[in-house]
Amino acid sequence: MTEAQTDVVDQDNLIDNENGLVDRRIFSDEGVYQAELKKIFARGWNFMCHDSQLPERGSYFTNYIGEDEVIAVRDDDLNVQVLINSCPHRGNTVCRAEQGKARSFFCSYHGWNFGLNGDLIGLPGQDTFYRGGIDKKDWGLTKAAKVESYKGFVFATLDPDAIPLDDFLGWVGRLGIDQIAEQGDVEVVDGVQKNIVKCNWKLAVDNLFDWYHPKISHGSAVKQGMLTEEFLAPMNQMVIMGEYGHAIGGAGVTEEAQQRLDKKYANVDTASNRKNPKNSNSWRGEQSAKDALGPVGIRSKGHPNIFPNLWVSTGGTQLCLRLPKGPMETELWWFTFVEKSMAPEVKRRVIQGAIHFFGPSGLLEQDDGENWSHATTGSKGLVTGSRPLNFKMGMGMDEVLIDPNSGQARIETVLTEHAQRWLYQSWAEWMKAENWEDLIKSHSPEPRGTF
Amino acid sequence: MSTITIEQMLLQYEMEQFLYDEASLLDERRFDEWLALLTEDVHYWMPIRRTTTSAEVDKEFTAPGAMAFFDEDLTMLQLRVRKMTGKYAWSEDPPSRTRHSVSNVRVIDNTGDEITVGLNFHLYRTRYNSSEDSWIGRREDVIRRVDGQLKLAQRHIYLDQTVILSQNLSNLF
Repeated sequence: MTEAQTDVVDQDNLIDNENGLVDRRIFSDEGVYQAELKKIFARGWNFMCHDSQLPERGSYFTNYIGEDEVIAVRDDDLNVQVLINSCPHRGNTVCRAEQGKARSFFCSYHGWNFGLNGDLIGLPGQDTFYRGGIDKKDWGLTKAAKVESYKGFVFATLDPDAIPLDDFLGWVGRLGIDQIAEQGDVEVVDGVQKNIVKCNWKLAVDNLFDWYHPKISHGSAVKQGMLTEEFLAPMNQMVIMGEYGHAIGGAGVTEEAQQRLDKKYANVDTASNRKNPKNSNSWRGEQSAKDALGPVGIRSKGHPNIFPNLWVSTGGTQLCLRLPKGPMETELWWFTFVEKSMAPEVKRRVIQGAIHFFGPSGLLEQDDGENWSHATTGSKGLVTGSRPLNFKMGMGMDEVLIDPNSGQARIETVLTEHAQRWLYQSWAEWMKAENWEDLIKSHSPEPRGTF
Repeated sequence: MSTITIEQMLLQYEMEQFLYDEASLLDERRFDEWLALLTEDVHYWMPIRRTTTSAEVDKEFTAPGAMAFFDEDLTMLQLRVRKMTGKYAWSEDPPSRTRHSVSNVRVIDNTGDEITVGLNFHLYRTRYNSSEDSWIGRREDVIRRVDGQLKLAQRHIYLDQTVILSQNLSNLF
């Protein structure tokens, strides 16, 4: 007889690292979810937007930190501000569009008006009704505690004690973003696809590392010749795990294959290749890209996740942000990138690929949602919720290899669930830590030895 | 409104019958017959809609060539049909139960060979025991006379949703 779910979940014992087991209640429990909003989303660094989405003064894009809606806006000094989209007077939103351009943010309830940096710059009745009883400088919009960017990718945190973005990302998080940034002068294509899946956000993140599912979940794409089995489930796998939960999992290019690629790219001119629809991927042969990605990183073609919820997808042409909307609902936002100097037909190919493979209409992605939502719903059951899930694939069977020159560490192996176990282990560390000081001390260093 | 002619009434009737027949092919999952109604150069497109202020409502939909939910030619639509009717197509196995309704059909333009029709649509879908989706919006279809037969040359779909409130868009509109 299995133990029934109790009303209060013991949040300290949900992940069993020793045995590769995950308590299913992390995918449905309201208490766990509320703790995540505080300890992971408010505390961590959240992706806001790319610089190119805020081209001029007043350009804004609304996003979320946990369930707090925020406005990422380019202010009068052309810096990006991240403002909580809630008027401090009665709490109404001050920005009611998803994106656009504003001179100020005007509350539609009573007319409090906020500058692009969040300052309260005007309110009706300041003299006649408040009669001097309000100091405007105390009543601006709440701001994110910190806003920082890495190569044009803007992140924000609500925690003033958060470590700098660069330290949070570490080499693994930076390597993930470099898959896009190192392609050149990139920009977001107009149109962020957004849709709702009735799943827990972690199941969507878990899935991006999961190279076990594509042959089955996406078997219809193979049957129709859209993709080969080798592409969907590559035999050469590389797993890279970074501090604070970042990871990259998926295809790895072997050292021998990389030498062949180096020769192939040696005389290739990336600038002119951007005009060539048949070969726009040669940026990986550029010395600047090799320097940025490093000798191991250049061989990683897997899926990076910037902890907690930002997937660098589609060969570095898309980002998918997984926004939590309650324990059993997630919004998926797809951002698509092109290099500015690409020929129109190259851009078109990137955009068509994004539409046809990913997003709610994508021929790969459309089969994922049901798996994730049924896995989520199932975790509510009295019996189903009490049987932990199996994350044992490859556990304890691989060695971490370290590149002697760069120090870049990775595992090169067959299909495993290493990256997923790292995700849940890191998740548990974030959930246990009381604050940043505690997390800095208690989080696991990058794995070494047998994993 | 100016006087309505018999020709206009006949054209209206002809367009509506075409649209009803075509919708029933989708609901009855007779996809090959549906594909046969498309012209070689068909364009099937659903842009992304965003909430904008009134001042920027001209930027509500993404432009052609930018990101979209669908931007398909005949080859891609054929692939979609093969995919959804083939093996391992879990988003359509078990199959969705769909109901396509069209209303408010208006002839917007008529060059003789090509008739542009504006209409409202409601695509209703259920799956399993309790999953329910509803997509409502406006379509702009171009219907062309080819060798005495009516064919669909364009379907532009303007959905009344910004965030898509369903887990996928695995059906044809």
